[in-house]
Amino acid sequence: MNTLKKQIGAGMNRVDGRLKVTGAATYSAEYELPGITYAVLVGSTIAKGRLTSIDTKAAERAPGVLAVITYLNAPKLPGPKPEGKDPSQPQTVGNPLQVLANDRIRFNDQPIAVVVADTLERARYAAGLVKAQYAQEAHQTNLEANKEKAFLPTQAKKNPKSPAADYQRGQVDAYKTGALKLEAEYVIPTEVHHPMELQAITAHWEAPDRLTLYDKTQGTMATRRDFAKQWGLPEANVKVIATFVGGAFGNALHSWPHESAAVMAAKVVNRPVKLMLTREQMFTMVGYRPYTWQKIGMSATADGKITAITHESIGQTSTYEEFTESTLGQTRMMYQSPNLTTRYRLAALDIGSPIWMRGPGEATGAFALESAMDEMAFLLKIDPMEFRLRNYTDQDPEKNKPWSSKYLKECYQAGAERIGWNKRQLKPGMLRDGEWLVGYGMGVGTFGAHRGSSKAAAQLLPNGTVLLQSAVTDIGPGTGTAMTQIAADTLGLAPERIRFEWGNSDFAQAPTQGGSAIVNTVGPAVQDACLALKDKLRELAAASNGAFAAARKEDVAFADGYLTLNGNPTARANYADLVKQAGGTAVTVESKAGSDGQKYSMYSFSVHFAEVRVHPLTGEVRVSKLVSCADAGTIINEKTAGNQMKGGAVGGIGMALMEHAIIDDRFGRYITKDLADYHVPVHADAPAVEVFFVNQPDPYVNALGTKGIGEIATIGVAPAIANAVFNATGKRVRELPITPDKLI
Amino acid sequence: MNTEPKVPANHDDNRRTFLKQSSLLTALAFVPGPVASAAAAKLDERVSEAFEQVPLSLKVNGKKYKLKVEPRTTLLDLLRENLNLNGTKKGCDYGQCGACTVYVDGQRVNSCLSFAVMHDGKEITTIEGLADGDQLHPMQEAFVKHDGFQCGYCTPGQIMSAVACVREGHADSEGEIREYMSGNICRCGAYTNIVAAIQEVKNGGKKV
Amino acid sequence: MNQFQYVRPTKAQAAIDAVAKDATASFIAGGTNLVDLMKRGVMTPQKLVDINRLPFAKIERENNGLRIGALALNSAVADDKQVREKQPLLALALNAGASAQLRNMATVGGNMMQRTRCPYFYDTTMPCNKRQPGTGCGALEGINRMHAIFGFSDKCIAVHPSDMSVALVALDATVLVSGPKGDRRVAFADFHRLPGDMPQKDTNLEPGELITAVDIPDGPFTKHVSYYKVRERASYAFALVSAAAALELDGNTIKAARLALGGVAHKPWRLTAAEQMLVGKPATEATFQQAAEVAMQGAKAFKHNAYKLKLAPNTLIQALKTATAA
Repeated sequence: MNTLKKQIGAGMNRVDGRLKVTGAATYSAEYELPGITYAVLVGSTIAKGRLTSIDTKAAERAPGVLAVITYLNAPKLPGPKPEGKDPSQPQTVGNPLQVLANDRIRFNDQPIAVVVADTLERARYAAGLVKAQYAQEAHQTNLEANKEKAFLPTQAKKNPKSPAADYQRGQVDAYKTGALKLEAEYVIPTEVHHPMELQAITAHWEAPDRLTLYDKTQGTMATRRDFAKQWGLPEANVKVIATFVGGAFGNALHSWPHESAAVMAAKVVNRPVKLMLTREQMFTMVGYRPYTWQKIGMSATADGKITAITHESIGQTSTYEEFTESTLGQTRMMYQSPNLTTRYRLAALDIGSPIWMRGPGEATGAFALESAMDEMAFLLKIDPMEFRLRNYTDQDPEKNKPWSSKYLKECYQAGAERIGWNKRQLKPGMLRDGEWLVGYGMGVGTFGAHRGSSKAAAQLLPNGTVLLQSAVTDIGPGTGTAMTQIAADTLGLAPERIRFEWGNSDFAQAPTQGGSAIVNTVGPAVQDACLALKDKLRELAAASNGAFAAARKEDVAFADGYLTLNGNPTARANYADLVKQAGGTAVTVESKAGSDGQKYSMYSFSVHFAEVRVHPLTGEVRVSKLVSCADAGTIINEKTAGNQMKGGAVGGIGMALMEHAIIDDRFGRYITKDLADYHVPVHADAPAVEVFFVNQPDPYVNALGTKGIGEIATIGVAPAIANAVFNATGKRVRELPITPDKLI
Repeated sequence: MNTEPKVPANHDDNRRTFLKQSSLLTALAFVPGPVASAAAAKLDERVSEAFEQVPLSLKVNGKKYKLKVEPRTTLLDLLRENLNLNGTKKGCDYGQCGACTVYVDGQRVNSCLSFAVMHDGKEITTIEGLADGDQLHPMQEAFVKHDGFQCGYCTPGQIMSAVACVREGHADSEGEIREYMSGNICRCGAYTNIVAAIQEVKNGGKKV
Repeated sequence: MNQFQYVRPTKAQAAIDAVAKDATASFIAGGTNLVDLMKRGVMTPQKLVDINRLPFAKIERENNGLRIGALALNSAVADDKQVREKQPLLALALNAGASAQLRNMATVGGNMMQRTRCPYFYDTTMPCNKRQPGTGCGALEGINRMHAIFGFSDKCIAVHPSDMSVALVALDATVLVSGPKGDRRVAFADFHRLPGDMPQKDTNLEPGELITAVDIPDGPFTKHVSYYKVRERASYAFALVSAAAALELDGNTIKAARLALGGVAHKPWRLTAAEQMLVGKPATEATFQQAAEVAMQGAKAFKHNAYKLKLAPNTLIQALKTATAA
């Protein structure tokens, strides 16, 4: 009998917890390679123009300097430019910046030289000695000033069904003729991912045609593909290792200039090169959530039925890549509006390219949509949750397909109970706690339950333990732990006897970690690999043991390390013995989504409830309580999944209350340069976040029933807080962040 | 035992002059003959090292080190790049995130904001020195149990700070913990779980 | 970062001599600001004179007051029993600044010597008269939401970032200084200076002068004190505006008051006129509002910091309310 505890659902501790709490987890700048050297980037000091001269003499002569590489002496790369895209997201159009390729300056702090020295201090000093002169051109770094130049993204021009294309159901802009209407503009400033680990890479040419990268990336295979292409190498000659990634939140979904520069530098000095960005450089060259202007028009009947929504947005991109994200997707499917118009546009600025940041466009769009829902409910004098329920969608109104599963109503109810929604007053400013005004708000989030294709490799080792391998990365959610749990339950093995290895491009193919798709995608592959391994064990048992040979497949049971037979208590085959006989059991299987995606519309859903306190004199806002409820399908690990939800909520607090990267447009240069200027939430900003999971399996996304958590954890949090601030104060802030100056 | 600082009290003019120069070659006119000829023989490394490095004695996690370092090497870079103690993390390099938190003579500090030479003769404790051999420190155990991390990068700093927070007597309430832990940023947002871990240790009665 | 010479004298006179004789030399104590600025090339001393082992870390009774050594750590001062009893406002202000780790490094003298956090000062590619006289003030026509509303000049509109100094100026502290020409005492209100035509000079210290201690006279401000700091997050951030308020109350009547604002000027901004106005008045919100009006006379905003014209008086009122209730 199998006495093993079921692992899925259980709050198993992380498999890499011990490494992380002892400082033994190794991140990409921490590999000890003999002869390691240090690279430091020199950035441009203008936003647009050309380099007219670059003086590297002093840097070259500085002690310890091994090379100073500029576009004048950089190796010419045989291959095309890097890409590195998350396959679950729409592809961008254009070409990533090719570093040190020519004299053209496209954004401020663009790398114009890389200095390599034998110590970090010497490299940093010498980098300061590089002097450049420019022919400066007029730059544009302000989206508001460039709204009129906004354009339809190329992908939408090419394909009217692209998510970036204009969307229409019912009449165009029908809200304008509605009896009760709302029209409001919303702004999300530039936000920066700022994972705690600075972007870092260690590049090592192990042979003239063999490259190993220890890199902060969300996709070992995407990075391998990029650098193989860039250097004209077979993919097999490039190995990318990213066992531990110190957070990323999207900013390691792209191959960036510093990575190319490090690889180039390693080639030039013919020694391993370590390059870690500075916090300043994290603003300028590894992406950000783009500044986005939005406008919502909404009309409704007096009894609270939405009759029309128009949602327009203009997002920022660079002059060399068209970055798009799904800012308007949620508006098209969340509420039952017969007339719906969306228009998505881009404005190209002389700033580095943006990249998806947690919850990406959906989080931006949800701020506008969920704020507008609150505004409309207020106009109608209807409770905002009731207003949402009156416009609830029982099937996807965009695709006209049933939901694969949707338990959002259950989330509403659970969240309302936990936050104490019944205390909320329709009229703002009615509740106080001492001097502080108290308010309640809610915001809904949704994100596609994406599943891609993935492989997983499994083998039983002679000691009776199972080794699983996948190229997938774990940027923090606990992927390795979840996969171990899935394997444990599938194999009937204690998790201690399973070793899941990840973060190496030589392992079985897996997609880039992003878009909340990893458990959905790699989970089934691990499950299938384990099933294949069981088939193999069954065959081996049958080959060596008559009882098993005669047994029906369904009578073979997998207990902790043994095969047993139902109804035959003496039949028993030890995993370890079987593998010794066979001399190996390696299997690699591929899993991908079936056709259910054609029949059903698949989304995760969340709702966030916030209780805030606002100081009437100083405009300080404190989030005193946050409840996040999710319909994310089966929860593999309540502990790590709950943690992810809590973390997303904290990210939402940052978005709502403090995060804004600011450029001085005169110089086209950020004036927020570090974590003292650009605030992210600290301990004191975060209340104890309460999490509720519906934990009902989705029948169609995959056999595990999962739907994904990472994005919905943050989508909808910022508007919940903004709505709570309105409820507390009567002040509607439509431009984030809600800093004290906006409330006094 | 602390060793006497070996930094020379007075530096000769040649050295000072050298240090004002941005390039070695311009300094050669002022340095003694043998050194100059060594440089001329392209032994730049040895020459510059002779000028730039100062002795430093430290005890790190109980182990004594006698080192020579450039004065501009921060304690953080010394730990990571010279002593291969990579558990102490670089998150901002400006004292704005707490990932580099270590103890100097038992007090938690940001190792990125001081030069290693300033700690001559002192005792440094890093995350690698917190556990008792294979036995995790109670705070490390509590972080695992409460899942007080995600990506793990801020974790060593959080744990060093958490232990200090309890030792300092600043862990009496959730609010106090949050305030006294605010110098350690977790971008993954594991704050709820970190506070739970600290409370458990604080209330658990084990010696920290 | 430039290579530099490092010396660690054991006598104050040696430290003073080392800096007095060399215009490129600088004292270093906690290093929390100087190391940061050196990393970014904003300050480039060629010689660092490490004063950490000089005997200036004591906190002791002296002439009806507290004498706090310049090398006393911010955390040690904030946690000191005498400070908490005699000068609780100082403890509050210290704990409102930075983080626990930084307070374990930063010294009292170093806290006073902090440079501005103005982003134009911090970026060596941008104009800044404080960093590089004659290059202009980047903030004047730039993003000046963090900047001064009092005492600025057309050369510089930066603010001083210290919380501790706001409390010390309110508490009539005196700075003890040793220099090449001997020892002197400087009233805290005269220690920092306004930018005028020389924004590169933050303080009235002469070259080579070393802060050795701060004296705070005993006063009646042991109970009704508040340091109210408004920032963009709940902790570990520089102030948008902060207010120090210390009251002596007789029943509900104000017998004496000390007030200062932070985040509004190139120096901690003492509000003497508002203090005088409060004396003899009842400690009510209406009184505090009048005091705030007096306090704000002469304030002027720039394009992005007009909110401070309202936030500063409101914060002051809040600090007075909190002090009264304390």
